[in-house]
Amino acid sequence: MNGEKEASNGYETPELYEIRLKGHLNDRWADWFEGFSFTLESDGTTILSGAVADQAALHGMLRKIRDLGLPLISVIQVGNNQ
Amino acid sequence: MNIPILSTKLYIPQPRPNSVQRPRLIERLNAGLDRKLTLIAASAGFGKTALISEWAADCGRRVAWLSLDKGDSDPVRFLSYFIAALQTIKEDFGTGVVDLLQSQQPPPIESVLTALINEISAISFKFILVLDDFHVIDSKEINEALSFLLEHLPTQMHLAIASRENPPLPLARMRARGQLNELRAADLRFTPDETALFLKGMMRLNLTADEITALESRTEGWITGLQLAALSMQGRSDIPAFIQAFAGDNRYIVDYLVEEVLQLQPNHVRAFLLQTSILDRLNGPLCDAVTGRQDGAVQLEALEQGNFFVVPMDETRHWYRYHHLFAEVLYAYLKEEQRAQLADLHLSASTWYEIHGFSADAIRHALAAEDFSRAAGLIELAWADMRRNRQEAAMLGWLKAIPDELVRQRPVLSVIYAWALLSAGEIATVEERLQDAERWLEMADAHEKTESFLDGMVVVDKDEFRGLLSSISLYRAANALAQGDISAAMKNARRVLGLVPETDHLRRGAAAGLLGLAYWTSGELETAHHTYFDGMANLQLAGNLSDVIGGSIALADIRIAQGRLRQAMRVYERGLQLAVEQGEPAMRGTADMWVGMSELCRESNDLPKALKHLMKSKEQGEHTGFPQNQYRSCVAMARIKEAQGDFDEALQLYTEAEQLYVSDFFPNVRPIAALKAQVWLKQGRLDDALDWMREQGLSVDNSLSYLREFEHITMIRVLLASYASGLADHRSLPVAIEFLERLLKAAEEGERMGSVIEILIVKAFADQLESGTSAGLVPLQRALSLAEPEGYVRVFADEGPSMAALLEAALKKRIAPHYVRRLLTAFGQTEPNVPAKQPLSEHLSERELDVLRLLRTDMSGPDIARELTVSLNTLRSHTKNIYGKLEVNNRRAAIRRAEELGLF
Repeated sequence: MNGEKEASNGYETPELYEIRLKGHLNDRWADWFEGFSFTLESDGTTILSGAVADQAALHGMLRKIRDLGLPLISVIQVGNNQ
Repeated sequence: MNIPILSTKLYIPQPRPNSVQRPRLIERLNAGLDRKLTLIAASAGFGKTALISEWAADCGRRVAWLSLDKGDSDPVRFLSYFIAALQTIKEDFGTGVVDLLQSQQPPPIESVLTALINEISAISFKFILVLDDFHVIDSKEINEALSFLLEHLPTQMHLAIASRENPPLPLARMRARGQLNELRAADLRFTPDETALFLKGMMRLNLTADEITALESRTEGWITGLQLAALSMQGRSDIPAFIQAFAGDNRYIVDYLVEEVLQLQPNHVRAFLLQTSILDRLNGPLCDAVTGRQDGAVQLEALEQGNFFVVPMDETRHWYRYHHLFAEVLYAYLKEEQRAQLADLHLSASTWYEIHGFSADAIRHALAAEDFSRAAGLIELAWADMRRNRQEAAMLGWLKAIPDELVRQRPVLSVIYAWALLSAGEIATVEERLQDAERWLEMADAHEKTESFLDGMVVVDKDEFRGLLSSISLYRAANALAQGDISAAMKNARRVLGLVPETDHLRRGAAAGLLGLAYWTSGELETAHHTYFDGMANLQLAGNLSDVIGGSIALADIRIAQGRLRQAMRVYERGLQLAVEQGEPAMRGTADMWVGMSELCRESNDLPKALKHLMKSKEQGEHTGFPQNQYRSCVAMARIKEAQGDFDEALQLYTEAEQLYVSDFFPNVRPIAALKAQVWLKQGRLDDALDWMREQGLSVDNSLSYLREFEHITMIRVLLASYASGLADHRSLPVAIEFLERLLKAAEEGERMGSVIEILIVKAFADQLESGTSAGLVPLQRALSLAEPEGYVRVFADEGPSMAALLEAALKKRIAPHYVRRLLTAFGQTEPNVPAKQPLSEHLSERELDVLRLLRTDMSGPDIARELTVSLNTLRSHTKNIYGKLEVNNRRAAIRRAEELGLF
């Protein structure tokens, strides 16, 4: 597992993620990205931060970003939700 | 075909009049036509669909088109649409395969594809198949199927895939081999020239070069952005100000622009756009149902005219859809502004779809409205169709979305759930669902109510409710059999037979079939045979011919275990005849008949014919085989290799067969591990064989059962080998022989003459070890007399030199001399066995030949006597003389011998 934390198959501890997108997102998309908060940065990017239950949830989130045609800049895990 | 095919999904979108022509891209697409795959991969809104539709009109080839949606992740549905798409360019394409997809157990996807690939290579012209919106497909099976298709793609076909993400296909390999032509976002962006052309020509905007450049750089040539920007500028007086504001704004482009566009619209248009954004496809009446207005058709036309991201889905401008991204953004707005109305809008759509017979759409919108009881009711009503169309995957997904307590209130739905779980192989939770349904039935009984008047119980499909008890028992029987609980399987299958009327052939057939399999598993072969036979007769009346043909496998297997090889052959011949009568394309089950006949030819040592039959089964195509076909065909080939003395090859094939094994409710009476152990013994790999014994927990202390019979016979072989090599102590031999005797008794009691012959052969070796050759000849003689009339050869010949020696000894003692001579020629040769025609010591008289000819028919003794106008006694003395001259002791052996001698 190349030094990564081993993922189990069941529910894991929710992980906190920060997803940076190009463009400023309006709050109306909060519904889409359930439970994520939006931070509009001065460089014209948006940071979505929040907890994802597991990898499947994270990928579902990325798929939504894909479907809106939002350019994805980075996805960072920022420690878990303890 | 059964899966309702929406022709709108097969419609090739027409290029919009005066749209921007993109000759540079069309040229690149045409240049890649000699490769296998064109991939157009870019985010939403890069004009993928528009480009391919321009190409389709311009490439000089026939084009089949399939617009995919989420529901197409169901492999059966995907394949059905795949075929339907190709039928738009070749009417009779894949018609036979469609029937297979609808059968009770659809064949594995790869074998269906093989059949389709063969049909594609028979198409007389070159064509393109377009799979649009491929990113919605989320199915490993479908991705594997497409990889397989691309691997074996006939030159007639070119595949074009449009997707928002790279499809999980072997792209790198295809790139390296020059089989892939790709267009990506960078290629699809509008160039400055195209941008100018688009804004000026198509959107009729008068813009300066600087303004165009500003728009182009802000949108980065992203076509949807440009189109939205153009819409936001139409009718504005202050375009320069708009462009300046837009260029300096950081907001998500679509958000920004849709807001601008919506602000420009009159209220009724704005409301229409938002409310109809819940729909995957739009038509006038459906829009009216959702909006509560009457201007749907007019609005749609106006939107199309105004370049409003509305795409016609058919020639007649009846169905439309919104550009996906546009719809997503509208829907986000709708949720923000009219959250309270959302459920009502979905419900209106659901109702409209239900009235117009689109049950899947009706169910989807009911779930979106979170009106789960409505969804549950719709599912109950749609079930019968969906079961016929084999859409259990979609069904299971919906059922899982409905809260459990709601399912529990509904006995019929609970049973549907059990069926969907059983079909998906999720057998652990089947019983729970059946019990939920059962509790309601018990309560209804207790209250002497047959209808849904119980407090808290909900039944929509009353007909199904009336037969629910038998459905529960039927699924319970199948589930029990799948889990190896024979007595529960029997109990439940019998219960179904007791409950359903004689006329319910489908349920009777299914139940009797399961019951027959349960008897077979427990070793009661004769009962198994007639029960299963009765099941097949019912399925034939119900019109499930394919299942009847496939059922021959079980019937023949049972006959083989009973040592009735000739009858087994007749079962296969009848099955094949039934298949042939159905005409082309070959019915499912055809391949299985050939494999079965091959196996019987191998036993009689006609190896060339056995191989020919196996080839024949392969020619039929895997899709005409039932689930066990590949495994059985692999085992058949392994046994041929074994007969030819090629043990390594045989072992490899057995290992392959292990991978292919599926139980399909059949008892596993000859486990492959045991077959391998027998080969190891022949190779002298005694340690491996002993390991196998330990792994399987085999010992002489085991209790006996038919399921373990073959393993036990093999175990004794291992014990004898280890005794003979001096590894075991002297007490082990009598113990092994005693165990053999118990095995023999059990096989005789079960009338399993096939097993009896095998056991007697092993016993011959054991007795020979213990007390010398003449002791061994006693069981051997019995084995020979049982085996001769049925024409067994390999069962002796596969034993190798030690058996040859025993047979030589038998010949010296004049034991079944003809048969033994014939068997001896089969040793150490792989050539077809042409029986040496021993001249008769005494010729048959004319009269005796007459009798012999009649003995060959199915006529009984008294009938033959009448035919020849002689008394029964006279006939008896004739036959006795015939048997004497032919050196045989029964009718069947006499016919066989006479055939060898060419007396007919």
